[in-house]
Amino acid sequence: MMLRQELARLARGLIADPIAGAPEVEITVVPKSYEDAAAVLEFAATNGLRVMFWAGGNHQDIGNQVDPDIVMSTAGLNRIVAWQVEDMTVVVQPGVTVAELEASLQQKNQTAVLPEAPGTETVGGVVAAGLSGWRRLRYGPTRDRMLEVRLVTGDGRLVRGGGRLVKNVTGYDLPRLVTGSLGSLGLIAEMCLKLWPLPEAQATVRVDDPDRALATAYRPLALIATPHGTHAYLAGTHAEVEAQCASLGGEAGEGHRWPEPMVGSHELALRVPAGDVTAQLRLLADLGCDYQAAYGVGEVKLVADGVTLDDLGTLRDAAESAGGSLTTIRGKSDFDPWGTPPSSVELQRRVKAAFDPRRIANPGILPGGV
Amino acid sequence: MTLVDDLRAILGSDRVHSHPLELLVYNKDAGVTTGEVVAAVLPETTQEVAACVRVAARHGVPVVARGAGTGLAGGAVPTEPALLIVLTRINEIWDVDTVARTAWVGPGVINLDLSRHTEPLGLHYAPDPSSQAACTIGGNVGANAGGPHCLAEGTTVAHILAVEMVTADGDVVVLGGKAPDPPGLDLRGVVVGSEGTLGIVTGVLVKLTQNAPAVRTLLLTFDSIQEAAGTVSAIVAAGIIPAALEMMDRPMVVAVEAFINAGLPVDAEAVLLAEVVGLEAGVAAESQTIERIAGEQGATSVRIAADDAERALLWKARKSAFGAVAQAAPDYYLHDTVVPRTALVDVITEVYAIGERYDVQMLNVFHAGDGNLHPLVAYDSREPGKTEQVRAAAEEMVRVSVAAGGSLTGEHGVGLEKRDLMPLVFAPVDLDAQARLREAFDPEGLLNPGKILPRGSRCYDYGLTALPGEAAP
Repeated sequence: MMLRQELARLARGLIADPIAGAPEVEITVVPKSYEDAAAVLEFAATNGLRVMFWAGGNHQDIGNQVDPDIVMSTAGLNRIVAWQVEDMTVVVQPGVTVAELEASLQQKNQTAVLPEAPGTETVGGVVAAGLSGWRRLRYGPTRDRMLEVRLVTGDGRLVRGGGRLVKNVTGYDLPRLVTGSLGSLGLIAEMCLKLWPLPEAQATVRVDDPDRALATAYRPLALIATPHGTHAYLAGTHAEVEAQCASLGGEAGEGHRWPEPMVGSHELALRVPAGDVTAQLRLLADLGCDYQAAYGVGEVKLVADGVTLDDLGTLRDAAESAGGSLTTIRGKSDFDPWGTPPSSVELQRRVKAAFDPRRIANPGILPGGV
Repeated sequence: MTLVDDLRAILGSDRVHSHPLELLVYNKDAGVTTGEVVAAVLPETTQEVAACVRVAARHGVPVVARGAGTGLAGGAVPTEPALLIVLTRINEIWDVDTVARTAWVGPGVINLDLSRHTEPLGLHYAPDPSSQAACTIGGNVGANAGGPHCLAEGTTVAHILAVEMVTADGDVVVLGGKAPDPPGLDLRGVVVGSEGTLGIVTGVLVKLTQNAPAVRTLLLTFDSIQEAAGTVSAIVAAGIIPAALEMMDRPMVVAVEAFINAGLPVDAEAVLLAEVVGLEAGVAAESQTIERIAGEQGATSVRIAADDAERALLWKARKSAFGAVAQAAPDYYLHDTVVPRTALVDVITEVYAIGERYDVQMLNVFHAGDGNLHPLVAYDSREPGKTEQVRAAAEEMVRVSVAAGGSLTGEHGVGLEKRDLMPLVFAPVDLDAQARLREAFDPEGLLNPGKILPRGSRCYDYGLTALPGEAAP
């Protein structure tokens, strides 16, 4: 209680009501500036209080459970700070929703290539969770578009890494490091993202043999298989899209309809080398799981409701022996969210300590309890 | 036992060089700095690298990794007497996966050899530094190297899926993997571009890119740098990200033409080399758009490569730029700054003014599409005071770039050359964070010490007080 009062003095006006869906904590803070966040994190570090970061709340089930003392919301950091249209970069705060950002960018025919069916997802949540959208096959992962970061470290330092430039190798690559760090290094307070022009035309073609389609199509946006069939998502100039449709031999539907979010309470991501997707899908079909598989990328999202822990274990063994992983992305269950930790776990622990020496920023959330 | 004795016990005498004459080959890179090498070793396996690192650690001698030595920023040049681990003999290519489009390669594989190796499979390795016929993948990883075709494809880091690395302790770890997004922190991304300061990379899993079914290469000629730069902006504004978009100014065109005779327009103030790739239908449309835009911006001529031979010739012209200058002047100093694309014209105008002020000959060839400038100063170091003048001019160009919202280096790396300029772009607290990150990998400062971060970076007092019963942090 003392701490709460002390923090209330320090962070006047930042204490908020508990967030629906977040763990029950004594203190919820909503910083409005990077300095606010730094002051709260320094206080937390000094007093050994664990902090969980909360953006849209869509990806909080990823990773080991964190039992926080403080929840820090990004709702007060919700501005598009700068959009250099001609340089094709945008600077955003974590609380900006993906939908809002993409809608703005669309006005100038640009995209940040963030996940396509965003709902309430925020840019901060997507970057912290290291998620990429369906178009990854064509444009690469979100991580490769992270040009600059302002990070409030677990001990309250406001650190900048990278730069607002599409090409830059000045200093160690903090922007990529924070992408997918799940708040384990601190609060991602500001990001500069590289943008792409939106293509002139797009079409979706149903294909029968995804492996063959992947081999013949020239850089499609995505090739997605579900239990109901496989579709190639194409984009480019009108002529280019027509030519691609013809080469894939399917009936082209105009535009794109990305797969709807799957129904179910426990969703996993199975990630394997791209060549192993077909084999993994056979296992999923045997289990009767609903899935959405990104061919060429090697990521399969699946609903695990009703699948026994034993069967999930077998599935994980298959993924790991192929050099991949099976991890939880939505819903809590008794299934270990990560599986076997990476061989670099000691190094990971030391890197976390470099940014969060007191282990207060989402402690233990990473594989191996890092 | 001396360090050399211990190294010979691991590698035999043939692969340990310690004679001063032998070491002369290793005390510099392609840039302007030199350093002191205690011994140079040529390991052939990861385990040999690990053993060498452990021996060096035991003797308290720093370790510097080296590929072909084509770096320009001094990344492989020791700042204090060091053991050089030369990785050119770890040069196998294995496990080429045509479905996932990946391959494992040794750090000593030469960049161009990799693309040649995978060419029959319809695949290539996208980053293509000008030195690609000589530079190694390991060196590319160290510097996070670029190249003309990084405009659309991204620099080296976007093409490295995993690295096998010997740590400062002599352990071997694999960071990243063939499957997307391996669980945990992305240490792979930090290692790429770390110039051998976080570990010695002994294996690299690269991403391979589909060869394009169609390619169109255009050479556009302008009466002014401003028109050429305006064309660059207008192309991007039209929603086209070409595969490459390169600019050369008149002095550079003249030097290159004298060197390789590619039929370049020597009376043009600026030329743009633009390349679009993709399906035939798209390439034709994009090429027409670029031609139209160039015309609107004042292009005086457009030359489209008629076949592969002409296309290869135009690229040879572009990639021979530095060789051409070497022919024309006894010495040259090549810079590598990056600015927002929209600041190109202003910065390049300043760069010319700096050249005049310092009375040095300035040639420009650069990756215009991503704002990556390479002002090149040709000079004769035998002229008294000239080297100092050149360095002063170079530093001023960096300052001008930074002031325009740019940064120190786009693809060559910080190394030794830009190390002391880091405070121009980073505050003490930023440099401190980078220093801590480095310490997490190499607490004893064994790996390529004195690079990237200026001395005293690890000094920021962040003011945390100790928890009860805990020593002060």
